[in-house]
Amino acid sequence: MIPPFEYKIPNTIEETCDLLWKAKGKAKIIAGGTDLVIGLRNGDQAPSVIIDITRIEQLRKIEEKNSTLSIGATVTHSEIASSPSVRKYGKVLSDAASEIGSPQIRNVGTIGGNIVNASPAADTLPPLMVLNAMGRVISKEEERQVPLAQLFKGPYQTQLKPHELLVQISFQKLHPEVKSSFVRLARRDAMAIARMNVAVVFQVEQSRIKDIRIAVGSVTPTPQRMSGAETFLEGEKLEEKLLKKASLKVSETMIRQSGIRPSTSYKQPVVEALFIRAMKKALEE
Amino acid sequence: MITFMLNGKEIQVEVPPHWTLLRLLREKLCLTGTKEGCGIGECGSCTVLLDGMPVNACLILAPKVEGRRVETIEGLGSRESLHPLQKSFMDHGAIQCGFCTPGILMSSKALLEKNSQPNREEIKEAISGHLCRCTGYHQIIEAIEALKE
Repeated sequence: MIPPFEYKIPNTIEETCDLLWKAKGKAKIIAGGTDLVIGLRNGDQAPSVIIDITRIEQLRKIEEKNSTLSIGATVTHSEIASSPSVRKYGKVLSDAASEIGSPQIRNVGTIGGNIVNASPAADTLPPLMVLNAMGRVISKEEERQVPLAQLFKGPYQTQLKPHELLVQISFQKLHPEVKSSFVRLARRDAMAIARMNVAVVFQVEQSRIKDIRIAVGSVTPTPQRMSGAETFLEGEKLEEKLLKKASLKVSETMIRQSGIRPSTSYKQPVVEALFIRAMKKALEE
Repeated sequence: MITFMLNGKEIQVEVPPHWTLLRLLREKLCLTGTKEGCGIGECGSCTVLLDGMPVNACLILAPKVEGRRVETIEGLGSRESLHPLQKSFMDHGAIQCGFCTPGILMSSKALLEKNSQPNREEIKEAISGHLCRCTGYHQIIEAIEALKE
């Protein structure tokens, strides 16, 4: 059973910031609630106030502005998966959103919630990291833009202060010639939490790799960009042998971040294979 | 006090905010057709439609339904006149213990309302958030497929 709390439904961002400020760290924001309600039920979360931000119209929009695409914090995974502009300008995110959980979870779970919950296995995070996404964060004190990659402190921990609210995520629109893909590995397709998830974006110019970005989730404390492999691949001629070598850089980074674990003998070859699969999938599409 | 549409009728009900929609339906409104399986959004037994979309009622806090449309299995058909989906599930042996059935019927209804000609993959996707430990799913898929126009 869930213990009692006060429930507030603000209509504006300002009102939300006021409520957060007054609550002095005792409030939790609810959007879809697909993570929070489980936390309330098992006692991991016991806020005295819950602030429901899903009635704030401003947070529910997907907006195109010149070269950027912005997604409000309470846009659901279903809405992202079915949005023609996300498919056009950030297909890697659209693909990930369409594979999260189950239809029931995608219909209520939000992108903002997926970010601030900061699960190492969150499916939208590797795509957002390869899109170089920025988060817009507002509080009573200030407004700031944070690169998403800098938002995570550890598993289920962000750099956000208790009175801060993530309101929007934005990224530069991808050009049509940019290749991208998202692949995930789990015990089964539906519902199961990802064991590994990989997102890549890159371009190929005269058969050489350009502007490659790689992010891997679930195998490190927070999703990570694989800068070793990125540097290794940048400007190189795209061929099978090269991808194989780059995949070793990916697993090296994983081991450096997470240490040698009992699962490493499994995860090392699998993360290498998954990275290669992601690259090939991007090339096929 | 919250006000919402429940199976086509507007209702007003006093409910504390820490109650889930599932608890409200079962314990206050006596609509026990919606089942609690896992209680953490994994099994889909508690699936109801919120504004026409399948959701896990165990993960929805009661205040969230204010002003919205909720449909449960009780609104699907009646003993005297079954919904075509209910009839098809019976005809195809898609029900064994019956615990997952109300939830799967609600997801099936949402699917057919959006897409009257679903292919097998679309049907599988639509019921992917449901666990059924009896049927092995084939009969369920066939029952839904039989309703394609």
